[in-house]
Amino acid sequence: MLNLFGRRLCSKAAAVPLLMPRFRMNNMTLYRHNFMLNNLAMRSMCSKADPETVKITFLNLRDNSEKVVDAKIGEHLLEIAHSNEIDLEGACEASLACSTCHIILPDEIYDDLEYPCDEEDDLLDLAYGLTLTSRLGCQVFVTKDMDGMTVKIPEASRNFYVDGHVPKPH
Amino acid sequence: MLSRGFRPITRFSRFFSMNVSVGTPGEKITTKGVQFGETGKPIYLDNQATTPLDPRVLDAMMPYMTNQFGNPHSRSHSFGWETEKAVEKARRQLADLIGAEKREIIFTSGATESNNNIIKGVANFYKSRKNHIITSQIEHKCVLDSCRFLERQGFEVDYLPVNENGLIDLDQLRETIRPTTSIASIMMCNNEIGVVQPVKEIGQICREHKVFFHTDAAQAVGKMPVNVNDMNLDLISISGHKLYGPKGVGAMYIRRRPRVRLEALMSGGGQERGLRSGTLAPHLVVGLGAAAHVCSQEMDNDHRWISHLKDRFQSKITAELTHIKLNGDEASRYCGNLNYSFAGVEGESLLMAMKQVAISSGSACTSASLEPSYVLRALGLEDDMAHTSMRFGFGRFTTEEEVDFAADNLTTAVKRLREMSPLWDMIQEGIDLSSINWTQPH
Repeated sequence: MLNLFGRRLCSKAAAVPLLMPRFRMNNMTLYRHNFMLNNLAMRSMCSKADPETVKITFLNLRDNSEKVVDAKIGEHLLEIAHSNEIDLEGACEASLACSTCHIILPDEIYDDLEYPCDEEDDLLDLAYGLTLTSRLGCQVFVTKDMDGMTVKIPEASRNFYVDGHVPKPH
Repeated sequence: MLSRGFRPITRFSRFFSMNVSVGTPGEKITTKGVQFGETGKPIYLDNQATTPLDPRVLDAMMPYMTNQFGNPHSRSHSFGWETEKAVEKARRQLADLIGAEKREIIFTSGATESNNNIIKGVANFYKSRKNHIITSQIEHKCVLDSCRFLERQGFEVDYLPVNENGLIDLDQLRETIRPTTSIASIMMCNNEIGVVQPVKEIGQICREHKVFFHTDAAQAVGKMPVNVNDMNLDLISISGHKLYGPKGVGAMYIRRRPRVRLEALMSGGGQERGLRSGTLAPHLVVGLGAAAHVCSQEMDNDHRWISHLKDRFQSKITAELTHIKLNGDEASRYCGNLNYSFAGVEGESLLMAMKQVAISSGSACTSASLEPSYVLRALGLEDDMAHTSMRFGFGRFTTEEEVDFAADNLTTAVKRLREMSPLWDMIQEGIDLSSINWTQPH
């Protein structure tokens, strides 16, 4: 629970250092844990209808694999990637302290979004393979307009794992 | 040594300037068959090629060449911390000189690297949307060469011509801008002829058209007031050794808001915000910072002193010589640069006749080639006048005696060479040299 809310809290209050303790657990436990929590939280918080979702495709440029997911409006892309077992690093858990959740948006979506804040821009400077429509996944919140968009995940991050190792979310 | 009126650092610089006496006063020293004054060295009037290191800068650098040797990127011990602190102080000093934020300064190895990084970096980053670059015909070679390199890669480049006075035409700039123009690179102060472009107006035009404006300010920063916000500058290149700092160090200014992005040329450890990987050289960086600091303190003094020297030199030679032409605009120029053409005199002969004065017939990078300067060609100078051009550069440490000596030496040499020259006789007879067909019929 703490982990879930910790992540959400940090993503909204940009640049706040991670206050919540990190839970280090293996990948599958985390996913299961999050999944359960998500469901639980959803059931308890949104007693009315299910929140609206849109279809978003994640295209991983590392192996050109695609995955279409249901993304809840209002969640950020890192959150969505993690809850769908998509390899997007996000080492700082959306506390705006790293560039490992670097994603590439389609032109029209990027142009419609607000210009990134200075802190995000500074981190983007450090992102691997920066493009004109690059953003940090933790700073992009899903809107209705994003229905059907394809988000690209770059080939690599700032981590120099050249042996193919993929770091797991903490 | 005469009194140097307005100079508060007179006594100080006498100890440290290049004129440190090696002989007894009045003694003449002969080196390689040329007789020099007390110093045994020629008089240095080539301050556009490089400037001597200010002794205050050397003092600041010394600790970082001796006991403070840490890697400024080391995070885990005090060796790293102390050099990092020094580097950050230098960054602040340089930022203050140009009215920028500290984080907008990226250190490089010099203005050539800065120009390469900026022009290629911006062009490459925005190439998916924009593929057009604007520059001028009188830029430094590193800018022109970077542009030619990009042309080979498929970018389109417009090289703006300049007017007879060396300044670009703002209307022409406006017309040249396309929706696909990513960057315009126009130098602030020209290295050969010293003209200062109207950068503020250029910046305004570029901003209106959403084009990034880069200016190569290697010859300007530290010598004239530069403010990145007042002048609408997005990117600038700075050189250490042109502002009385050490060689081998320079900087880029890259605007953070609105952010200018560039693709780094150097891959590596991600130092300097990933834009210029590679361990910084703290002693050089500290030297650049100290030089910037000294320049901001001495800006007014330098300006007064150097314009005084220029006026003195100019009045002496214009009183003695006719048929000389000042190249580049008379008003919009840096006071420490005079570029003159002497009709009827061959440039290289003049250089040879002035062995006691270190001057140049063009930029330092061209002086080994015999081609007349492309900058003067762009001004529309006839080849014969371009061949006789000579650049005189005055600086912080130039003295009145040196200027007087150089002016006397120059007038004597020009007069003597003209006496020997058949061209000079023709010029005096009023023959237009360009109307003559020099080739002989076979």
